[in-house]
Amino acid sequence: MPQGPDGHGPAPGHPSPGPGHFENEILALLPVLRRYSRSLTRSDAEGEDLLQDCVEKALANRKHWRGVNLKAWACAIMTNLYRNRHRRNTRHPAISIDEAMDLPSVEIQGDPLERDRLTGALNSLAEENRAVLMLVIVEGYGYQEVADMLDLPIGTVMSRLSRARQRLREQLTESNIISLRRPR
Amino acid sequence: MSKNSSPVNENDLHAYVDGFLDPVRRAEVEAWLGENPDAATMVADWADQNEGIRSLFSDYRQDRPGDAALLSAKAASLSTPATSPRRAYWQAAAAMVLFVGGTVVGQVAPPLMVDRGAPPAPTAVASLPEQAKSAFLIYASDVRHPVEVGASEQAHLASWLGKRLDYPLDVPDLSDIGFNLVGGRLVPVSGKPGALFMYEDDAGQRVTVLVGRNDENRTTSFRYASDNGLETFYWIDGPVGYAVTGEISRERLQLIANECYRQFPS
Repeated sequence: MPQGPDGHGPAPGHPSPGPGHFENEILALLPVLRRYSRSLTRSDAEGEDLLQDCVEKALANRKHWRGVNLKAWACAIMTNLYRNRHRRNTRHPAISIDEAMDLPSVEIQGDPLERDRLTGALNSLAEENRAVLMLVIVEGYGYQEVADMLDLPIGTVMSRLSRARQRLREQLTESNIISLRRPR
Repeated sequence: MSKNSSPVNENDLHAYVDGFLDPVRRAEVEAWLGENPDAATMVADWADQNEGIRSLFSDYRQDRPGDAALLSAKAASLSTPATSPRRAYWQAAAAMVLFVGGTVVGQVAPPLMVDRGAPPAPTAVASLPEQAKSAFLIYASDVRHPVEVGASEQAHLASWLGKRLDYPLDVPDLSDIGFNLVGGRLVPVSGKPGALFMYEDDAGQRVTVLVGRNDENRTTSFRYASDNGLETFYWIDGPVGYAVTGEISRERLQLIANECYRQFPS
């Protein structure tokens, strides 16, 4: 079970939150969790699917939450789910076409070609490296926070971050060669 | 670098890009970067990555109308022992997709966070099937732009890719075994330009043939990698590595691999 990074539960005798409290906290976190799930996945549909699984798992495991830093706790759950489901779902996302069509679209910013290149490069990352990269860059966690959250040595976090960045750089440089020098 | 500061290491560079350095260290790293242009270029690339990635996903931080309903549905499904209709629907849909995809092979989910240490650095031999798999996954499912140069320009394709790879390259002809050329594209293989050829049979089933430089320059026998129904045959012939990938039976893929091996110059 993923642990929160704090290591401190509520004080003994602390009144337990009333019913609905936990659900409301999760509900408030959904936008942030949606961003994290999308940053790990290859499509909007896959991102929503992962988000739903994460919500379900968080609710089912609510008694393991130590009462602080719900976001880090939920992100750890999401990361585990992502690593376990990634392989089978990227090729056959378990979401129907109808369902995917119903997803609200997100305004796309920037040069579509640049976005495609970056997306392609991100999709080439190993899952564990991608997760660390996104937790740092998109979710703004410090290296030690990521290590605590994922129960990893700090050195592993740094080497995963490093591998992700080098790999992206290689991929983007290669893509550059292709698109800039394509012969007629 | 100034004389009194500790040496700048890679972790400093990450922390610099991610904004985790205190002002003093930050100034030291900046000074060091001024004297190390290669590292400065790398760090600038990392900073561009950060910005690009953030802008890619920032807009997903949003409420959606169904959020509250989703949460209460999930909460309700947990309080009743029966499988929720939604979950059952997803399971049925997943089973259907798997069945249609024809990839029901013993799938074993990896245990939670099994990778605790750094994996070994991939060698060219080990990474070839991985790269072939990635290339297949990225491009074979791309309906609109699976290739950069189409089969109609086969002569151009061979000379273009051959020039980029820096060795002569024939495009294998697999029509005798039922696969017609869709086209090809340049892809990175172990950080160098490589060629990806794509073929399709009458049923629309695609296979890819990846050709890349292999600096280890050692010859291997045919090897085989299987991953959830995605099969790859690969071999290394002196300075060049080859990998044939597809979601088809091992027997059929081996036919293709044999045919490629026969046709590629040795």
